[in-house]
Amino acid sequence: MFKFMPYLLKTLWRHRARTMLTVSGSAVALFVFCFVGSVQEGLDRLTSQKDSTLIVFQANKFCPATSHLPQDYDQVIGKMDGVRDVVPIQVFTNNCRASLDVVVFYGLPAEKVQKIRDFDLVEGSWSDFESNQDTGIVGAAVARRRNLKLGTKFSVGEVKVTVAGIFKSNDKSEEDYVYTHLDFLQRTPGMNLVGTVTQHEVVLDESADPVAIANVIDDEFRGGPVETDTRTKGAFQASSLADLVQLIELSHYLGYACVGLMTMLISTTTFMAVQDRIKEHAVLQTLGFSGSIVFVLVLAESVLISVAGGLVGTGAAMLTLAGTGLSVGAEAVTIAFSPSVGLAMTGLLGSLAVGFAAGVLPAFAASRTDIVTGLRQA
Amino acid sequence: MLIEIRNLTKSFQKGDETITPLRDVSLDIDDGEFVSLMGPSGTGKSTLLNQIAGIDKPTSGRITVNGTEITTLSRSRLAKWRAANVGYIFQTHNLIPVLTAYENVELPLLLLPFSRADRRRRVQIALEAVDLVDRASHYPRQLSGGQEQRVGIARAIVTDPKVVVADEPTGDLDSATSAHILNLLLRLNSELGTTLLMVTHDADAAAIASRQLRLDDGRLVVEASVDASSVKLTQKDAHV
Repeated sequence: MFKFMPYLLKTLWRHRARTMLTVSGSAVALFVFCFVGSVQEGLDRLTSQKDSTLIVFQANKFCPATSHLPQDYDQVIGKMDGVRDVVPIQVFTNNCRASLDVVVFYGLPAEKVQKIRDFDLVEGSWSDFESNQDTGIVGAAVARRRNLKLGTKFSVGEVKVTVAGIFKSNDKSEEDYVYTHLDFLQRTPGMNLVGTVTQHEVVLDESADPVAIANVIDDEFRGGPVETDTRTKGAFQASSLADLVQLIELSHYLGYACVGLMTMLISTTTFMAVQDRIKEHAVLQTLGFSGSIVFVLVLAESVLISVAGGLVGTGAAMLTLAGTGLSVGAEAVTIAFSPSVGLAMTGLLGSLAVGFAAGVLPAFAASRTDIVTGLRQA
Repeated sequence: MLIEIRNLTKSFQKGDETITPLRDVSLDIDDGEFVSLMGPSGTGKSTLLNQIAGIDKPTSGRITVNGTEITTLSRSRLAKWRAANVGYIFQTHNLIPVLTAYENVELPLLLLPFSRADRRRRVQIALEAVDLVDRASHYPRQLSGGQEQRVGIARAIVTDPKVVVADEPTGDLDSATSAHILNLLLRLNSELGTTLLMVTHDADAAAIASRQLRLDDGRLVVEASVDASSVKLTQKDAHV
């Protein structure tokens, strides 16, 4: 088959305007497909997190700004069987509603950040953060999006923080958060939140039953000063993003529609190329090319165009996702749009499949060309 | 006998009308012969040529080339047979526009089990035979009509086929270029021993062949044999 590669490539190059336009169209379709895929992947990562962590939130509250739990609940929860650690967390966000530019502050006891999060501090130092109350460590995606450097002072609303470090995490959605001292966030001017927190994060023993413990926690505080609603971290995040989930499901179909559009585009282009070359294919068959060789040649053209579009579109999507640190958030939970090897492979394999699907009918038509009729074409 | 045609009939439907361009044609062609085929338009010359080249199937009758009955071969086997046994020279050259002269000539060799070095050697020989070695890297659009036809001839002979068929090879050329091409075909026949079957409208072109056939209304009606400088006309009936 490689013997025919010069013919194939030169044929595509002969109609370079048509080829380029088709490759561009395919690239745009694959770009959208990968982008939508990254949102879906981000959502899946959030909602499928392991069940060994619980989030205790105020019952019947949804936005972090309205959830106020007594901080000392951590003492009670910490004594329960199966609980390894409890971390009181104050959450502050500039926007509780769905937005593409959500900044979320998580206030934790400084010494607990390293303990419950697996962060890789790429700039700054833990000691600077732990010894200075008005500092924060900033996720790499936020830093990139807001152009934050080490030592930069920035403010969101009344919260003013100096960047003491920039971190990366295997959990890409964490890179959209800013971690500060709990006391600092509770004392934010105008909020007066000392003694209360937005939520408690409960780390369980490996063998613990998360549902049973969640029920125990909620039962414990039922009838108390503030009732709780406890769920696994994945369920909590899915609930916070409930409004977005439907939109994301819908966008999923948009991704499939793009792939369908790409198939139609490449199929149309390949059909046009076959129609233009009826005589050429008849000449090839006169020289001894069998119908199956002509079939493979036309199919290969379709696959080459599709894979070229796939490479460009997938590559552009991966670069954009890696370079922009985009995310969408609601109720202080963010979905990171991040590139992944799996997504890139899906894009490339998808373009390969599209190339085959789009090329089959035109290739079949070309392979069945009646030689004598074809040679009579102008 | 290289080509043996027996009771060949080709007919097809065009609307309500049945067209029969070939009627019960029988013909033998020896190895190394140069046969021309003349006749008015629409009398079945190209149809007969296409049957011999294996690019069209008859309605009835049989064609045997070098011991292979090609009329019974499947589409894919016929393609393989064409690649190895037939060279086809078109009236309008029909070179692949995106390929250079070298690549056009090499094209039929890609279907046969030749190494890259063998292919290069054969293309070189074919281009030398048509005196176009210096145009090997040129694209068809960079060649004159006569040069294009010579590339077409090189492509037809590069596999060293059993039979070369030419469908009005000088039909699109001026008289000087036509003479050059006909001389080239004559040389291929006399020097390389290539069996040639040429369809033409031009009596002068037909005259260079060692045997001249004439088709009228789908039947072979007359044969003229050229022996050295003399011409011998022989009336034939059904079997020629």
